[in-house]
Amino acid sequence: MKVKTSPIRLTASDRLFYSLINIFLVMLFFVIAVPLWSTVTLSFRPNDFIGTNFEGMFLAPWKWSNAAYKALLGNNGFIIAFANSLKIIFFGVATALFFTIPLAYSLSIKTLPGRAVLVIIILIPHMFDVGIIPSFLMVKNLGLIDKLAAVFLPTAVSTYNVLIMKGFFEGIPVELKESARIDGASELYLLMRIIIPLSKPIILTIGLFYGVTFWNDFFHPMLYLNSNHLMPLPILLRNILIASGMNEFVEVNAFGEAPVQSIKAASVFLAAIPMIIAYPFIQKYFSKGTLLGSIKG
Amino acid sequence: MKPEKRLIPATSTLWREIKRHRAIYLLLLIPMVYFIVFKYIPIWNGQIAFKKFMPRQGVVGSPWIGFANFSEFFNSFYFWELLRNTLMYSVGKLLISVPLSIILAINLYECRLPFLRKTVQTLTYLPHFLSWVIMYGILLVLLAPGDGLINDIIKFFGGRGIDFLTNVRTFPWVVLFSDAWKEMGWGAIIFIAALMGVDPTLFEAAMVEGANSWQRVRYITMPSIQPVIILVVLLRLGKILSVGFNQMYMLYSPSVYSVGDIIDTWVFRGLQEGKFALATAVGLFKGVMGLVLVIISNRMAKRISGSSLY
Repeated sequence: MKVKTSPIRLTASDRLFYSLINIFLVMLFFVIAVPLWSTVTLSFRPNDFIGTNFEGMFLAPWKWSNAAYKALLGNNGFIIAFANSLKIIFFGVATALFFTIPLAYSLSIKTLPGRAVLVIIILIPHMFDVGIIPSFLMVKNLGLIDKLAAVFLPTAVSTYNVLIMKGFFEGIPVELKESARIDGASELYLLMRIIIPLSKPIILTIGLFYGVTFWNDFFHPMLYLNSNHLMPLPILLRNILIASGMNEFVEVNAFGEAPVQSIKAASVFLAAIPMIIAYPFIQKYFSKGTLLGSIKG
Repeated sequence: MKPEKRLIPATSTLWREIKRHRAIYLLLLIPMVYFIVFKYIPIWNGQIAFKKFMPRQGVVGSPWIGFANFSEFFNSFYFWELLRNTLMYSVGKLLISVPLSIILAINLYECRLPFLRKTVQTLTYLPHFLSWVIMYGILLVLLAPGDGLINDIIKFFGGRGIDFLTNVRTFPWVVLFSDAWKEMGWGAIIFIAALMGVDPTLFEAAMVEGANSWQRVRYITMPSIQPVIILVVLLRLGKILSVGFNQMYMLYSPSVYSVGDIIDTWVFRGLQEGKFALATAVGLFKGVMGLVLVIISNRMAKRISGSSLY
């Protein structure tokens, strides 16, 4: 942000202004941090802890127990769900980029004959949403029900991401492309050897955006998957959270000695960890180009 | 003769351009097949909204029944309920989240403590990346009727515990404020970007003229981000019928359907119950209304601020 050099001394009302801003931001810090912190501490709560959740937030770290995490990570269902989520995110992001890069690159070539038609082809499904049932029938007719591909194929292209990437490609100097063309480079060579290497940051960013979407998606798995062994993490997490006793979806003693509330909180935290790890990388690329795209998405 | 003269070179350059880009068309082949299969076949399938859908006879084979599905929807008691809930939440979210994002953006921009600014900025963006399943888990920790944090506090002050998620009076507020909590930071990004674009000499001039901080916010900051505010509000109005299926589906339960059921959740339950044609008609109604709203709001955004989405 901007650096302010103030040659003028602060008046009393200015000081009030800046104090109020600091107070507001500190309050906001707690409003966001307390729910997160209480979830984390709940997940580490030992079985013999007596007291309210509020008191639990101040439990010393050396008294924490990792029973809930041991139970979850030692549970076959949890590992399988985690692996399914990894599969979905890997194939999903690969497919998404495989479609997004050519689309964005074609749109960025102003002289491409038929570019306007391409824009229309891409925008119509984006602006006219017919709802979920026609898509469901399509997936069903393709025989993709209860296959992992059904989870990531229907959502593999996000128009917003195509437009963000297109904006980046347009920013690459035309002279660079022209000089390569004069040297006799084909359009494909140009894309593979010049455009893609220059666009690593945006490809990484868009890949992360897609990854977040696939990792967090529970709607499509819920819609298209039936088999237990295909369930990704969000579905298992939801089942764990809505099970009042732990025994509806998961076997009674599957999770050993840890308290149910801690298991729930620990599964929430484990599901959030990949996002927390990816987050600094995503934030790094909050450049202005992606910024403007972000509100539209 | 003049037009003919022009025509011949024009077509030949067009042909040359097409030939020059043939690798691009080849590259577009698979994405285009994808678009036809995964985006246009669903649009084609949308015709069952006007049909009596029989799974055995398929989409094309089912008999046409005109607008019967639509009139069944418009005449049902849930039509008004769904519309009311959907509009209530989208307007509510607009009224809560957008002002909060603006306030947050101004506070972050004006803050003079870099550490505080960076910490709060990072922390407020974070929840945007958490799914609503995770959010539901966090909300349970806060709101659980037995031992949730907020009920702990209520009980500490001698009140009685409230089951926030199943009470029709508290449920809408949980929806609105959990959304604000999750998206406020993300929503602020666009305003921060707008603030960074404000000419710093304006602030310097104001300081020299003796304006205090409050006057600076009132007379420089607010007017200069006003076009962006209008743009954001218009774009959100264009999406007024989409209020967040994921959030509602995770948070609601049969006891709060009367205040929690929105168009998207109803369509999903219609799918589960096998009411394919009726639910498609409802989805199509939403799609057409959404299309009209998006086009109108984009037109207005273009006229007012000179920039639009498409």
